[in-house]
Amino acid sequence: MTPDSRIKLTSELLDLPILDSEDKYCGIVDDVEFAGSKHLRLKALLVGPGAYAGRMPGWMFWLVKTVAGDHMGRVPMDRIKTIGATVKLTCPGTELGLNRGETAAGRWIPHKAAM
Amino acid sequence: MGRTSLVLLALLAGCSRGPGQDLQYIKQARSIAAEWALVNEQAAAGRLTRTYVLSMHQWLADGLRTADQSLTQPDSPYGREIHTLLGEPEDAAPAELRAHAERLKQIEDQLESA
Amino acid sequence: MNPLELTLGIMTAVGGFVDVSELVFAAKAGSTFGYALIWVFALGTVGIIVFSEMSGRVAAVAKQPVFNLMRHRLGLKLGLVTLLASMISNLITCAAEVGGVALILNYLTGAPYFLMAIVMVAVMIASIWILPFKWIERVYGLFGLFMLVFAAALVAIHPPWDKIAGGFVPQVPQGLSTKELLTFAYFSVAILSAVMFPYEVYFYSSGGIEEGWGPKDMLTNRVTSILGMSLGSMLAIAILSNSGQLFGPANVDPEIPGTAALQASIPFGRWGLILALLGMFFAIAGAAVETCLANAYGIAQFFGWNWGRHKKPWEAPRFTLTWMALFLLALLIVLTGVDVMMLVEFAILFSILVLPLTYLPLLLLAGDKKYMRGHANGPVAKALGWLYFAIISAAAVAALPLFVLTSGGNG
Repeated sequence: MTPDSRIKLTSELLDLPILDSEDKYCGIVDDVEFAGSKHLRLKALLVGPGAYAGRMPGWMFWLVKTVAGDHMGRVPMDRIKTIGATVKLTCPGTELGLNRGETAAGRWIPHKAAM
Repeated sequence: MGRTSLVLLALLAGCSRGPGQDLQYIKQARSIAAEWALVNEQAAAGRLTRTYVLSMHQWLADGLRTADQSLTQPDSPYGREIHTLLGEPEDAAPAELRAHAERLKQIEDQLESA
Repeated sequence: MNPLELTLGIMTAVGGFVDVSELVFAAKAGSTFGYALIWVFALGTVGIIVFSEMSGRVAAVAKQPVFNLMRHRLGLKLGLVTLLASMISNLITCAAEVGGVALILNYLTGAPYFLMAIVMVAVMIASIWILPFKWIERVYGLFGLFMLVFAAALVAIHPPWDKIAGGFVPQVPQGLSTKELLTFAYFSVAILSAVMFPYEVYFYSSGGIEEGWGPKDMLTNRVTSILGMSLGSMLAIAILSNSGQLFGPANVDPEIPGTAALQASIPFGRWGLILALLGMFFAIAGAAVETCLANAYGIAQFFGWNWGRHKKPWEAPRFTLTWMALFLLALLIVLTGVDVMMLVEFAILFSILVLPLTYLPLLLLAGDKKYMRGHANGPVAKALGWLYFAIISAAAVAALPLFVLTSGGNG
C-alpha cells in the first residue's frame, strides 16, 4: 500500500510499528493528522504519547505523562514509503525527531556486562 | 440496584462486631500455636536447622502479637488465652502449645456455631 | 522440535509454576478443606493452559506482543485502563514475591528480612541485566525443580490416594455452615486467581517473541503449555494434599510461608527442609522476575518503545529503566513493613478483578483470522476460551464481596 491509496484508519494504520530507512524501529502510529475540510486527506502520522492529549480525560493524560512523557513526533505523508504490516519511512527516524525518548534514556544505561 | 448491594454488604460486614470480628484473630492465634508446636516437635526430633527454628519462632511470635493487639475484647476468655500463649517461652513443650491451640479451637467452634 | 529444548522448556514451566500466592493458598486450602479444593486447582490449570497456548500462538503467528495488539483491539482508553489495572496487579504481585523470597532467605540464613529484600532485588536486577532471556528463564525454572521434594514428601507420607483422586471431582463439602461455604467460595476464587495470574500470560507471550517463535513452533508451544503447566500444577496439588494430611488434623492453617517447608522435613528431616526452602526460593524469585518483566513488557509495548531482553539493555533503554524502576517500587512496598501474607491477599484480589480485561482481548485476537491466518482458534479453543471467560468473569464479580464477608478467607 502507498501513502496515496485508500486506507482503513483504525484497522490498517493506527498502532502499526514504524521502521525508518535504516530499518530501525521508531515507535508506533499513535494518531493521524488530516488536511482538507470536505474531503479529508491524511497529512501526517503522529507518534508519541503527546498525540493522546484531547483523546482522554485530563487525569488519564496526566498518568500517561508521568509514565511515558508527552513528546510527539510528526511524520509527514511525503516521508512514508509504504504502509503494510509496518509503516516504512524514506528517511532516518532521527530526522523527524523520533526516538528522542530512547536516546535520552540511553544516557543512563552503561554499555557493560550483558550477555 | 448498585446502592442497595453496597448497603447490604456494609450491613453484613457490620454484623460481625465484637467476638465475631475477633474470630479471625482467634483462628490466627490457634493456628500459630499449632504451628509453633509442630516446629518445636520437629526441632526436638532433629529434623530442622537451628536457623529455621529461630526464624520461625520470631515470625510466629510477630503474628501472635499482631493478633493479640487486634482483639476488640482483650479481656475476654479468648483474649486471656492468647495473652497467656504469648508469655510461653520459645522452646515451650509441644504438648503445652497444643493445649492452647485446642482451647482456642473450642472457643472458635463455639463462636462459629453461635 | 528440538527434544532437548522442549524438555528444558517443560522443566522450566514445572519449576516456575508455583509462586508465593499459590504456595500459601495451596497450603491453606489443604489444611482448611482437606482435598475438596483439588478440582479448583485442576480447573484453573486447564484455564491457564488454554490462555497460555493462545498467547504463545498469537506471539508466534501475529509476531506482535499482546499489549500492542490489545491496545489496537480495545482502543486507546480501554487499553490504557487495562494497562493501568494490570500494572497495579503485577506490582503488588511482584512485591509479594520479593517479600516472599526475602522471608525464605531469612529462614535459610537468619539474615535480616529487610536486608535480604534489598540484596535479592539487587541480585535479580543483576541476573536480568547479565543473562540473556533464555537463561533467565532456565536458571530460575530449573532450580525451582527442587520443589519436587514436595511431591516426594507426599509419596513418603502414604496419603489416602483414593481421597486425593476424589478431590479432582468438582464438589462442595457437605455440612458446611454459611460462613464456611462463603470461605470455600473465597478459596475457590483465590485459587483460580493465583493459578491464572495475568502476568503469566504476558510473560509467556512476550517470551515467545523474545525466543523468536514462529508458526513452526506451534507444537512446542502446545506441548510446553500443556505438559509444563500440568506437571507444575501437580506440585501445587502435592502441597495442598500434604497440608490436608499433615496440617489439617494438627489444627495448623499456615499463617506464614515458612510453615509449608515442614511438609518436607516431616518425612525427610533436615535435608528435606533445605531442599524445600531452596525450591521455594527459586520458584518465588523466578515469579518476582516474571512479574517485573511482564509489567515492563506491558508498558513498553503499549507505548511503542523498544523492548525485550533479546536486546542488550542499552538497545532498549526505556524498557530497561522501566523494569529496574518497577523492581525498586516493589522493594519500597516491602520496605514499608507490610505483611507478605497481606500482599498475597491483595495480589490475588487485584488479579482476579483484572483477569476478564486481560483474557477477553487475547481471546478475540487468537480467534481473529486477519491476524492469525490459518492458526486462529479452532472450535475447542473457542469453546474453552469462552467458557473460562465466563468463569473468571463470575469469579471477578464475586471476589470483592467474598473477601469482605470472609475477612480475606480468615472466617
